[in-house]
Amino acid sequence: MKTSVSQENLRQMASRWLPISRSSHQFRIHTDTTDFFRVEYGDVVLLGGRPYLIRHNAKEGRFGLDDEVKFWVKRAIDLNSGSPKIIKLVFYEKFIAHIGGIPFECYRSPRKEARILDLVADHKNFMKGYSIKDVKGNLVRVLDFIKGKPLSHYVADMDMDHQNYLYGRFPEILKHFMECIDAVRFLHNHGEKHGDIRRDHVLIDRDSGRYRWIDYDFNYRHRENIYGYDLFGLGNILVFLVGMGDVLLLDLRKNDHPALSALREEDVNIVFNNRVANLKKIFPYIPESLNRVLMHFSKGANWFYENTNQLLDDLKEFQTLTGMLP
Amino acid sequence: MSENTFNKNILIAVDDSQNAQRAVSYVSQLLEGVKGFKVLILHITNPPEEDYFPTSAEKEKWLSKYQLKVDEMLENYRQILINGGFDPEDISVRSIFRYCPSLSECILLEQNKVQYRTIVVGRQGISRSEEFLFGSISSKIVNHARNCTVWVVE
Repeated sequence: MKTSVSQENLRQMASRWLPISRSSHQFRIHTDTTDFFRVEYGDVVLLGGRPYLIRHNAKEGRFGLDDEVKFWVKRAIDLNSGSPKIIKLVFYEKFIAHIGGIPFECYRSPRKEARILDLVADHKNFMKGYSIKDVKGNLVRVLDFIKGKPLSHYVADMDMDHQNYLYGRFPEILKHFMECIDAVRFLHNHGEKHGDIRRDHVLIDRDSGRYRWIDYDFNYRHRENIYGYDLFGLGNILVFLVGMGDVLLLDLRKNDHPALSALREEDVNIVFNNRVANLKKIFPYIPESLNRVLMHFSKGANWFYENTNQLLDDLKEFQTLTGMLP
Repeated sequence: MSENTFNKNILIAVDDSQNAQRAVSYVSQLLEGVKGFKVLILHITNPPEEDYFPTSAEKEKWLSKYQLKVDEMLENYRQILINGGFDPEDISVRSIFRYCPSLSECILLEQNKVQYRTIVVGRQGISRSEEFLFGSISSKIVNHARNCTVWVVE
């Protein structure tokens, strides 16, 4: 829907979000988003004739750095509908990341994100949006803002002891998370990787209660196992959920935890050696069938999951054996 | 492997790593060009996914540069075998360009096509963590190869 973009028109549409002092504000209108640093708070980006009022830049922590500003990701308001959006401008970033000391090449791809947005348009467990080229051919993605908190915050905010959590809240959380694993299976079945599976990339939609993946523009140069890094991400989240947070060796030592003496090298996360994977040694009431799944992500694992089907099958078996269903 | 399918054809799957060079050197030193053996040096160019390249021009540039590197590498490996006593007529070199979600599967596909009964690969020597995250070509070949023998060279 093309909108008349006179300044007067824009001021009317944007009045809800502009302070009165800016009633005579002259909008900078961008149709070329190549230089995303120039797209600033209070500007308007016109995409396919549709105006978006730009708000703050997004922030995210990564690889040990807290809250880096992502200048190519803008919070925005669709001035036609008034709905909040996330606008991702084109940024081709390539770098060598290190995980557990292992170097691997990562890169951002607007094309990948656009493709996945199309693929998951009807899937309930993904962020929604569309892609459109600006006047210079930059592939911009316009995403529906999800109101809700990351799964990581939801679990971190639990104010209860672990046993009550495991038997009271975890079955429901697991049910939702298994839908997320199934959603990743959907991607893999279509030859796509998520590329950036993290506990804060699952948002709990406040309106529907669904768990939804976000952020698919990130990718990694895979080697022999195309989906290995995605599977590793899923395993990390699962261990985090079962443990009601990360169980770190450092914290166990600080608190002189009685389980410390029983922990062995094979009990820790295969990549993040400071995290315990064999959680049954910390919480003995964790069912063996569940702990077996966690141990596939430990240093002591004899065998690794090769695909999401195997992970889901084992989790379903745990649910069946224990009856731990919501 | 039945007697009917046995042959003295050896496929060495290579890349530009030290491990691959060791694999070629091993074949060269072990067999010393003994007559009757034919060797195929196989490289599969598995380019980065399309998404890796901002433009097709960048992709073409990457491919041209990479192909030059591959040609030089394969010639070096050929020379190692010749220097080890192999008749140049008994050595063939093949460079395949294909997008492979799994390199080991591509290698085994080629092995099945050419029906070479011995595959030689170099062991990457990666840690368990790395194998967990990114997989191991040699491990996968050992686990999935059929109707052939696999030599994994340390």
